[in-house]
Amino acid sequence: MKYAFYPGCVSRGGCPELYPSAVKVSAKLDIELEELKDVGCTGAGVLPQYLSDPINARTFAKAEAMGLPIMTICSTCQGVMSQANYRLKADPEYRTKINKEYLSEEGLEYKGTTEVKHLLWVLFEDYGIERLKSLLRKPLKGLRVSPFYGCYIRRPPEAITPTKELNRRKNYLDELIEILGAELADISGKGKCCGFPILTANEENSLAMVGKHTGEAKEKGADFMVTPCPLCHLNLDGNQPRAEAQEGKEIGLPILHLPQFLGLALGFDPGEMNLKRHIVSTQPVESKVSMLT
Amino acid sequence: MEVTFKVYRKDPEKDGKPGRSNYTIDIPEDATVLDGLLKIRDEIDSTLAFRASCLRGYCGDCLVRVSGRARLSCVAKVTAFTQKAPEISLDPLRIVPVIKDLVFDWDAFMWNKIRAVQPWLEPKEPASDGENLIPDAAMKDLRKVMSCYYCGMCDEGCTVLPVDFNFLGPAALTKAYRFAFDPRGKETRERLKILEEPKGIWDCVHCYEADEHCPRGIEPTKRIIALRDLAFKLGITNEKVARHHKSFAASVKESGWLDEGRLAIESEGLTNIKGLMKLLPIAARAMARGKAPIPYLHPKRPGADKIKKIFEKGEQETK
Repeated sequence: MKYAFYPGCVSRGGCPELYPSAVKVSAKLDIELEELKDVGCTGAGVLPQYLSDPINARTFAKAEAMGLPIMTICSTCQGVMSQANYRLKADPEYRTKINKEYLSEEGLEYKGTTEVKHLLWVLFEDYGIERLKSLLRKPLKGLRVSPFYGCYIRRPPEAITPTKELNRRKNYLDELIEILGAELADISGKGKCCGFPILTANEENSLAMVGKHTGEAKEKGADFMVTPCPLCHLNLDGNQPRAEAQEGKEIGLPILHLPQFLGLALGFDPGEMNLKRHIVSTQPVESKVSMLT
Repeated sequence: MEVTFKVYRKDPEKDGKPGRSNYTIDIPEDATVLDGLLKIRDEIDSTLAFRASCLRGYCGDCLVRVSGRARLSCVAKVTAFTQKAPEISLDPLRIVPVIKDLVFDWDAFMWNKIRAVQPWLEPKEPASDGENLIPDAAMKDLRKVMSCYYCGMCDEGCTVLPVDFNFLGPAALTKAYRFAFDPRGKETRERLKILEEPKGIWDCVHCYEADEHCPRGIEPTKRIIALRDLAFKLGITNEKVARHHKSFAASVKESGWLDEGRLAIESEGLTNIKGLMKLLPIAARAMARGKAPIPYLHPKRPGADKIKKIFEKGEQETK
């Protein structure tokens, strides 16, 4: 089982704890990763499509030449790439134009066969839940966990998946929480926006969203929240102290990246998953995990 | 079948306090929610207020929340909500000022915002024969947008409106798209300038909830993104957003990937002392955890020159 690995900028920049934990967890699961190095940023929904589509087409062409599907650990990368891929696959004329104008000079061509998958989808659709269960060393019994999907791993539906698996994909994180032995602390905002995209344009609204989602999880008794998106993490964890100040309430909810969550259940200790790098203290989670047998 | 309708009530002429009335009625298996409401009003309680007009899913007037989900009551079947128990709840939308019972203030919810985007055509040149005719094909994309019947489902689904009711919202911004992209229109730049003000296109989180909610497949989020891409092309006028986008594009163009530290600083503006001071505690917190990305010391990715070429070509083509 091998993927062209697209880690994304944030997994080594604003959230440097993500990249090494994803690599460790993949190795433990025997998922082979060949990192795409000579590729660009997806554009993250900031760059306009006329710039980001050619950059992403180049990434797809490289993976296609390797004969591998792409795996990401960032919902935003996955979302932007899935939307670009959808346009490029659905419209051969557009693909030809991009190939001709942007890729041919380098001797590249995107034929439209590359698949883009998030690690979360890989677990359920390629890896297999039974196999995952057989590797669990420390089921997270007694921990209450709120899922936070964010936007791009669930929408827009036609780009995320044109298959019947869509509705199931919408619940993978809920399912995973129970598979890893934890209890689901469900929240109404789990598929809403974390606020990160408008942190520049409207900081107040952005922080209000952080306060709303983390506050709701706390009210539901969550020990922590898990997200497949490092940009959600940047806002929900990194800006939680500012959201607390703005909203006038204490929250203190640790936010874990998906690979860290998996890693704990696979038996890695919190240090190996770099939990100390988070802004909101993960100490309460670490204590609870250390009590597990 | 017998079903209990649990209906939100509020009467400003009485005490104005919100409450709930329960009505158990006998309705056919294929009844819509609106069939039930009409039956209640006609046979049980003539004081119950709700909106409805065309009764066939065309006018968008009867938007309510049925057991928590926004639906047009005239096309929503009761049985879709009674699988667990023979009861449904009916409420006004999540975020609207309620006038009475299920009747809410459409002006505040949507029409004032649609007015704010100047929803009319300012033609480039006067029509020669009284009509400003263009080829049918030129309107193909806009025709889809023009099929909007202002039901408000997109605004109800919006992630931003519950935290900021003054955001223009997807319905009004989709209306703005309709005129910004009309080939007969003039001064797109001026039009965009209004939309780039706070509470406009840059306040959208592009979460695609609106697209998922729209019953007509108009895809409001994609329309808002098209307006933003157009603003990027013509030069963004919202200063802070302009700085952010410029810095983002510059670091990807120069190095192939994003310099997050630089982005944080340049978004605030290099001469904006107050803004930069605000970053200090954030940077200090991150540094204490060994994770603040160091700005400007950002190595080039392999193949960065190829990404730069894509930028140069893209920028050239859109000039």
